[in-house]
Amino acid sequence: MTLTTVLTALGALVLAPLAGGLLYGIDRKVTARLQGRMGPPVVQPFYDFFKLAAKKRMMTSRGSGVWAWAYLLLTMTAFALFFLGQDLLVVVLVLAFAGGALAYGAFAVRSPYAHLGAHRELLQMAAYEPILLLTVVMFAMETGSFTVCGVLAAAGPLLPALPLTFLAVLIALGIKMRKSPFDIAACEHAHQEIVRGVYTEYSGRYLALIELAHWYELVLVLAVVALFWAQPLWVGALIAAGVFLLELFVDNLAARLRWSWMVTAGWGLGIGFIMINMVLLRWLA
Amino acid sequence: MASAETLVWALVLLPVAAGLIALLPLGGAGRKALFVPVALVMAGASVYLTAGVAAGGPIAIGLPHSWDTVLTVLDFALLAYFIYAGLAARHSLVTGLAAAGALGLAYLKFARLSGYTPAEPVFYIDMLSAVMCLVISIVGSLIVLYALDYMPRHEEHLGLEKSRQPQFFLFLAGFLGVMNGLAFADNLLWLYFFWELTTLCCFQLIRHDLTGEAKDNALRALWMNLLGAVALLAGTGLAFQQTGSVSVQKLIDIGGAGSGILLALALLCFTGFTKAAQVPFQSWLLGAMVAPTPVSALLHSSTMVKAGVYLVLRLAPAYCGTTLSDMIGLFGGFVFMVTSILAVSQPVSKRVLAYSTIANLGLIVCCAGINTDLAIAAGIALIVFHAVSKGALFMAVGMVEQHIGSRNIEDMEGLRFRTPVVGAAMVVGMLSMLFLPFGVAFSKWAAIEAAGLEEGCFLVITAFLAVGSAATLLFWAKWTGRLLTAGAGPRERREDAPGLAYLAVTGLVAGAVVLSVFIAPLMKRLVIPAQVGMGYANPFDLTAWNLVTANGSFTPWALFIACAVAVLLPALWVKDPEADGTAPGYLCGVNVDGGDEKFWSAGGAAVPVATGGSYWASAFGEEKLTPVFNWAALAGLAAVFLGVIL
Repeated sequence: MTLTTVLTALGALVLAPLAGGLLYGIDRKVTARLQGRMGPPVVQPFYDFFKLAAKKRMMTSRGSGVWAWAYLLLTMTAFALFFLGQDLLVVVLVLAFAGGALAYGAFAVRSPYAHLGAHRELLQMAAYEPILLLTVVMFAMETGSFTVCGVLAAAGPLLPALPLTFLAVLIALGIKMRKSPFDIAACEHAHQEIVRGVYTEYSGRYLALIELAHWYELVLVLAVVALFWAQPLWVGALIAAGVFLLELFVDNLAARLRWSWMVTAGWGLGIGFIMINMVLLRWLA
Repeated sequence: MASAETLVWALVLLPVAAGLIALLPLGGAGRKALFVPVALVMAGASVYLTAGVAAGGPIAIGLPHSWDTVLTVLDFALLAYFIYAGLAARHSLVTGLAAAGALGLAYLKFARLSGYTPAEPVFYIDMLSAVMCLVISIVGSLIVLYALDYMPRHEEHLGLEKSRQPQFFLFLAGFLGVMNGLAFADNLLWLYFFWELTTLCCFQLIRHDLTGEAKDNALRALWMNLLGAVALLAGTGLAFQQTGSVSVQKLIDIGGAGSGILLALALLCFTGFTKAAQVPFQSWLLGAMVAPTPVSALLHSSTMVKAGVYLVLRLAPAYCGTTLSDMIGLFGGFVFMVTSILAVSQPVSKRVLAYSTIANLGLIVCCAGINTDLAIAAGIALIVFHAVSKGALFMAVGMVEQHIGSRNIEDMEGLRFRTPVVGAAMVVGMLSMLFLPFGVAFSKWAAIEAAGLEEGCFLVITAFLAVGSAATLLFWAKWTGRLLTAGAGPRERREDAPGLAYLAVTGLVAGAVVLSVFIAPLMKRLVIPAQVGMGYANPFDLTAWNLVTANGSFTPWALFIACAVAVLLPALWVKDPEADGTAPGYLCGVNVDGGDEKFWSAGGAAVPVATGGSYWASAFGEEKLTPVFNWAALAGLAAVFLGVIL
């Protein structure tokens, strides 16, 4: 691990909230325009964040505060591991711990709405987890390495070889971004529910922490998408941006699915795409 | 090495002797005075033996041939007992299989092996046996200590007039010796003897409470394990025919050349699958949960079922690189996935633990089938980590059951606050089963990386592992969440303080954490030597306590620091809401008196709030899925045997 990688990771940790916040600003703007509204300014998520952070500390149980912190810090750990060029499988598994922390935060209060949300959050995680794990395995098959460093050092872009895997990742991205049709636990902008699942019992400072964790998470999953075209990396970044916009459109076009549909989409379609991709690769080779 | 020989005998015979002494009417205090020193000696002896093997290489111990007669007599006595048990219960399957075993053994001993004197030693103790011995002697001893506190309360609850604890402790403690013998045996006939003895212990301990259900389930366990034993005999005969020896080491040395030997290996692996309760044989392990908790903890999670995977792993070098190996990998991965999925719909805690046990055993079988350096390391490590974490969880559930009078997860709401020590131990134990810095997830990581780079059917194995891993997240996380709910009832006080039980549970949970932190030294001292002894190479670069493979890397200590900062620091740091502002939980704004325990219904009644877990039985229900999975697993078993021909 060289000094450059450490500095890159530190830089990414500092810049990611800016990027993530802006992306969510764009999300709100684009969504508003699609719905025929003006929408807030692009920097609105930052205003929201600081306003939330400055509010009086209120919570229903100590555990929810603890796990909100854990959610943020574990997400940041996964994020840092990624930008340190570490093992991608480890990144995905640590991210699962972070997601678990979010659910535990909701479980920590004896609130029916939060519990319902937590269960659905776990279903969401179960739906996308295999896709992410198998995508990492596909990366490794193509590049011979499970680490981010190894994937970056590969000779050519991965997307031409892994188009169906890319499609599967889009499903995972939709779930991870909490976008319709997969926003069954609670969608990012509360356009379909009255009570916000896992976030029901959060307010003020702790809600701000969770928002911040979402920003990190978004940048992290988009960075994984960018790995599909890491040579040159700017193409990957463009693809990630395109995919992000695509999810916004899908979000506004689609309605929320039942959870069983989501699990079927994740386990059936997602894994199916990856398997077919693999078979085609071997067959053509 | 005379002292090593003494140690081996002590590890096999001491617990049996202690169990026999426990038949005397000792009373609770007397049993404690007997078993606490025995447990200490066992733990010490296993560590000493391991150190000896690590320093001086494998130990081989022969026996005078007069012992063969003793062995034969004992074998037939055991089988006669099984036939009797089958006849007494009018269970034709048990009778038939035991009779088949007796006939097979008679044919083998008196027709095929008559006049044969084995050249190889009876016991062969390498590092793999030593690792098993450590698990059996340390985790097992702790569970026996736990039982000393558990059983008196259990009998009090049942309201027995005459204590049945003497028999119970005979089989429980004796089992440790039997298991050690099984781990040490190299001669397949001796292995068979110990194998049948574990079946006997299992049978007796499951039916211990003598209820109708207990007796039925014990018989089911019996016939399934007898089926495995018949396969073991057939495998032994075939191995003798092919190699001219009944030595496991000889079989491994000659390896998978020729379909005769492969068939012998497949039969032995089949034996392992029955003992490890792999689908479609899972029903005996699930049924075994009627037994008192120490039995579940000892036999059905941490040690006995490990005998099955131990045999499969032990034979892995023999079938390395064959189609049989691929099929075993597929089968194990499939079992891991389906049992994890089945666990999602279970509200009964012991059944969740049982399914998770079968899943982890499936993962170990899968590792043996993947059969690369990294996969074997993952498999051996998982034997250790799973035994520690699962042993602790079973014992904790037993304590909870005696305390709250239920083993249903729904009744465990807020346990972290109601019974702080056991509740916290359970939460940590579950995290150690599920998330990454801990050893079980490390093994999962290693297994996926090992399978990931292989070609062919290995992508299917990886997919099995990925889906199974997602399902484990579902059932562990929702159970853990239930324990973490605050405000679910007042703190429950325990009048008695079962010190040994607390010691066993907290000791094992602490062990799970410490072993996970020190996973690199654990790998270096135990796991790597074990697999090098089996003929595999070291897959890791262990510099600076990292586990770096050719294609990936895992930095346990860095992750531990990060996770400790992420979880423990906020736990110390976030203040109680009372200090600042506290808000009641959200109940649609109709909270009664500003609290969050009741809400006003539309009819104006104050309704108490209730929360419940989701089990998604419509999608993951047992009734629907089990038949499908059983048939698929049967097809998988057929594929394993087909792998012999291909």
